[in-house]
Amino acid sequence: MTLHLIDWIIIGVYVVGCLSAGLWMRRFIRGVEDFTVAGREVHVNLGIASLAATELGLVTVMYTAQLGYEKGFAGATIGVIMAVAFLVVGYTGFVIEPLRNAGVMTIPELFEKRFSKRVRWLAGVFVALGGLLNMGIFLRLGGDFLVHATGMPGSWLESVMTILLALVLLYTVFGGMLSVLVTDYLQFLIVGIGIVVTSVLVLLNIGWGNLIHTLSSNFDAHVAAGLPAAHPFNPAHPSNFGWGYLAWQFIFQLAVVTTWQTTITRVLAMKDSHSAKQMYRRVSFYFVGRFLLPGLWGAAAFVYFTQHGGLPLGLDSSTAMPRYLGTVLPVGMLGLIVAAMIAAEMSTVSGYMLTWATVIYNDIITPCLKRPLSNKGQLFLTRSILFGIAAFLLFYGLWYKMPGNAWDYLAVTGNIYLASVFALLVAGLYWPRANATGAYAALILGAVGPLTFLIVNAVVTKEHQIAPEVAGASSFALSFLGMIIGSLVSAAPAPATAPNPA
Amino acid sequence: MKDPYIIFWAILLFSSIAWYGFLVFYIGLKAGREILTLINDLRQPPPDHAP
Repeated sequence: MTLHLIDWIIIGVYVVGCLSAGLWMRRFIRGVEDFTVAGREVHVNLGIASLAATELGLVTVMYTAQLGYEKGFAGATIGVIMAVAFLVVGYTGFVIEPLRNAGVMTIPELFEKRFSKRVRWLAGVFVALGGLLNMGIFLRLGGDFLVHATGMPGSWLESVMTILLALVLLYTVFGGMLSVLVTDYLQFLIVGIGIVVTSVLVLLNIGWGNLIHTLSSNFDAHVAAGLPAAHPFNPAHPSNFGWGYLAWQFIFQLAVVTTWQTTITRVLAMKDSHSAKQMYRRVSFYFVGRFLLPGLWGAAAFVYFTQHGGLPLGLDSSTAMPRYLGTVLPVGMLGLIVAAMIAAEMSTVSGYMLTWATVIYNDIITPCLKRPLSNKGQLFLTRSILFGIAAFLLFYGLWYKMPGNAWDYLAVTGNIYLASVFALLVAGLYWPRANATGAYAALILGAVGPLTFLIVNAVVTKEHQIAPEVAGASSFALSFLGMIIGSLVSAAPAPATAPNPA
Repeated sequence: MKDPYIIFWAILLFSSIAWYGFLVFYIGLKAGREILTLINDLRQPPPDHAP
């Protein structure tokens, strides 16, 4: 084990403090609206802290570092695109403004008002399916970090992650969104400090000049030898992402910031649409660092192992970064970064579990009930779903083997609903002719691309696998096509359901 | 270091480190106050239960 007593004390103090704060908030739960959207009492800065903490998980650090290891600084281009998308939506209010003004708890709830109850239900199924599959690898990747950074035996991974999940479940089940907000705040602080300090130490350890020179010379050497290597600085270079992938990412990230339910949950919890737009503008640049700083650690790990005899046996582009940090960080600092990464894992898992539980409760189960549940019944049901999601995470996370890198898996599983729900939202809010038939067509066609990717790539050899940008872009094209053709070939919606341009 | 891509990434990298450092303190203070306000608001009964 690379951890010392002082590291364990830092980690222990953080975990106990976070759990206590989360459990303390349960006393303020008055009903299901407090539990799921914090009574819509959230102000801008708390919204920023919560959004930033939820969307910067340990899984994020792992896949962005993997991108940094494989693609150098150019791997962080996705973060730049995401920041631009947040800024554009923050200034224009595109989708989020009418969505917040509609006063709904989830996106599918809006679809009942605009299309029909069945569209809401089907959208809820797709949202929950895409979200849960997406979340399925969080525990495994998080566990990989802890194993390689702390040097604990690999056989402990399942037990450690199960205990961590149980702690998160405990405060999320009791305190819901209120606990998530307060623990997100603590996690935002410790993750921020951990990321800044670690980035400075990594730069000091590897040296800026050495980093740039080694990345450049390694690429040149591989090209000269005819070996595959990604250009470490130019994302549009054919050896890196290339223009096709970047074009898909522009559409994908616009869909993420307007449609991804965990992000939208913060929009819906804000006190008004003005605050929601403000939150988006202010948080935008955070997403550059979300990719770039862990990307720096990944690139530094690549340089370190290149200069120290190559990657040790048993490591790959995903696990190289935690091993590198475990090797170079001093006593105390390793405890801080491990506590920060545990914080990142906890905030993301709690936020995501609550979001998908809300969708399952609000959009899949509630529309099927003949009589509305009592306040206690609603809370009991939402809490039971949280337990179900935790059980799914444990089992799915243990047996599923990713076909490619983590980022592509996350992007494609998210796309199961992103493409179709984005088409439904845009058409539902801005196209009066959109109707339920178009919505069904968009939902089904939008899921075809990503599901085909997941199934085909799990069974065929690497040469025959579908490229993620092809699966992703085709699902956007198919869902918009389905919405347009489906709406035009069927009757126009009644005037009451069409969006009000005012 | 004359490569424009390297200059671009260097600016973004050092700006990100500075921005994260600033946010931790700025948002940390402001959001801390907002949590206190939120808790005070939640201590009140919901509008439909008000006397």
